[in-house]
Amino acid sequence: MANIAEQRIKREFKEVVKSDEVSAFNIKVELVNDTFTELRGEIAGPPDTAYEGGKFKLEIKIPETYPFNPPQVKFVTKIWHPNISSVTGAICLDILKDQWAAAMTLRTVLLSLQALLAAAEPDDPQDAVVAQQFKENNPIFQRTARHWTCAYAGGPKSDKELEEKVVSMKNMGFDEHKARVALSTKDWDVTRAAEYLIS
Amino acid sequence: MSGDVNRQLSHMSEASSCYSDGNSSEDMDEDIDQYYMDTTDDLDLDCPSKTDDPEYFEYEPLQVMDAERLLNEEIEALCTKLKVSPSMAKMLLLRHNWQKEEIIENYQKDPSGFLIDSHLTSRRKHDNLIGPRPMCSVCCVNYPRDRFHGVTCGHMFCQDCWDMHFQTQIQDGITTAIECMAKECPVLVTEDFVCEVLTQPKLRDKYSKFSFNDLIKSHPKLRFCPGVDCAVIIKAKESKAKKVECQTCKASFCFRCGISYHAPTECDVIKRWLTKCEDDSETANYISAHTKDCPRCHVCIEKNGGCNHMQCPECKYDFCWMCLGDWKSHGSEYYECSRYKENPNIANESVHVQAREALKKYLFYYERWENHAKSLQLEETTTSKITTRTQEKVMNNQGTWIDWQYLLRAAALLKKCRYTLQYTYPYAYYMDKGSRKVLFEYQQAQLEAEVENLSWKVERAEITDRGDLENQMDVAEKRRQTLLKDFLEV
Ligand SMILES: [Zn+2]
Ligand SMILES: [Zn+2]
Ligand SMILES: [Zn+2]
Ligand SMILES: [Zn+2]
Ligand SMILES: [Zn+2]
Ligand SMILES: [Zn+2]
Repeated sequence: MANIAEQRIKREFKEVVKSDEVSAFNIKVELVNDTFTELRGEIAGPPDTAYEGGKFKLEIKIPETYPFNPPQVKFVTKIWHPNISSVTGAICLDILKDQWAAAMTLRTVLLSLQALLAAAEPDDPQDAVVAQQFKENNPIFQRTARHWTCAYAGGPKSDKELEEKVVSMKNMGFDEHKARVALSTKDWDVTRAAEYLIS
Repeated sequence: MSGDVNRQLSHMSEASSCYSDGNSSEDMDEDIDQYYMDTTDDLDLDCPSKTDDPEYFEYEPLQVMDAERLLNEEIEALCTKLKVSPSMAKMLLLRHNWQKEEIIENYQKDPSGFLIDSHLTSRRKHDNLIGPRPMCSVCCVNYPRDRFHGVTCGHMFCQDCWDMHFQTQIQDGITTAIECMAKECPVLVTEDFVCEVLTQPKLRDKYSKFSFNDLIKSHPKLRFCPGVDCAVIIKAKESKAKKVECQTCKASFCFRCGISYHAPTECDVIKRWLTKCEDDSETANYISAHTKDCPRCHVCIEKNGGCNHMQCPECKYDFCWMCLGDWKSHGSEYYECSRYKENPNIANESVHVQAREALKKYLFYYERWENHAKSLQLEETTTSKITTRTQEKVMNNQGTWIDWQYLLRAAALLKKCRYTLQYTYPYAYYMDKGSRKVLFEYQQAQLEAEVENLSWKVERAEITDRGDLENQMDVAEKRRQTLLKDFLEV
């Protein structure tokens, strides 16, 4: 790993670890290996959003040319959000692409991701299905996102009705996660979700 | 036959009234005499005269060196006027598309405001260095103050970091758009600073090459020739959607947008059309039929020439390849083959019916667009056949090469007319209903009829009288010019 990159990551690691945000358990960074090329991040879902109470794990890869090129970040925890792929966890965020600046840090990235959870940008989507639901059926979107937070990110508010639908499809022999994706995609209509999985 | 069409046209359009109206033989002879006079100084199809040609366009080819000199002159002139560095002047011209007067006016009104808007300085001068050995916020190393540099915004970083920043950006092809490394600072880095800092000479060359490309692309009167591996730059007086032909690589293209010439359709409309054709390519696939059945005797006929006026080899029935209608009705005032008849009651129909109607309309235009493109390809074969036959004739002492040149000229003119005809279809597709569309479709139909007549005669060039063929050329080209005069945006 290039000298500048390693130097920077060591420094940034300290910056995040000792910052106020960590003490409030809002953001966190851990080393995965001792070469500093891979890190694991975590952000807490912002209050008063569908992600409240959830903890979202992130995979962070540091390129050779860091910080002159941005880190590669994706969600490990499954999440229902217009700018994050519900399948791969890939993120659509300008500062991770052409709006990156060398003076930005991992802390900037994590705080920006938290801001993204609080304010989605459905017109610049990563996941077209989620973005469409966000725009056309926002109450269902909010419920679905909250349900995913509970199911995958340890969120506190479970939604009995939605949970039962997932269970009913599980009993039909479908995989739990696949059933949840299908139900979320088809606005929680069990018949359409089953058709979607069979076709 | 051409006389018939001439008569009908004169009451439709003012612009066409200049045509020979008569179909008497004297008038015809006069036309031909006139034509021969025009051709005595070797009529070149692609160098139209300035006065009344709607496609007339002045341009010249430049080599890279000439273009560089030209840009440098403009840059220097701005430097002198505004008393700014050449690097700064270059950025201003690039960011404002070389609108010199506008730049001077805005700069003199409010120099700092204008530079801020142009991303060449910031509202306040930042100072991010603390103490005698500050830390560089990019590499986190402490250095003495003289190792730090920055641009007009005042954000300072160490020399090594700037160097790495420039290397990374240039590798990605970014040169004139390199920004300061500070968070959310949009200030651009100018060429003088980049060259001062860059340690690798190879990258300096790469920088000048890429930034030269950016400069040309931002200049409204210059355009790179889109030809493969062609380094020519075309310079025009104005940025117009006119046809340019590169003498070096023979590529021909629209000056304003750089794709294949598309008159009478406008740049943004042709882009929409081409995108639509690409998106709907699967729906339109079934159209590509090379054989159709004769509408009278049902024998299978293969189309192997460009002409859409077909004659059944069996029953000798003359019909139209496009609509399978009787050819006799084509070229009359009631020529309906190129016109799409929309359902007048469509607004009251269900969404489903509307969608089907929209597809039907698109396929109608697409089929004609595609058919002319194919005809153009097939006519290439006719041209090469004519060339071979001409060579044979000259070898056998049947006249000189010059005697037979008119055949190749006819083939070239046919291509030119059919090309324009092809591009009338996207134009008509996007046109709003109304009297202008009626006139357009009328002229389109007239052009279509004359193009097919010319095509018919070119395919039978050896048995066609020279005077007859040249008269047909004249009529077809005049139809094309009339349409362009009325509908090509100038
Ligand atoms: Zn540095
Ligand atoms: Zn700056
Ligand atoms: Zn060229
Ligand atoms: Zn164009
Ligand atoms: Zn027949
Ligand atoms: Zn027809």
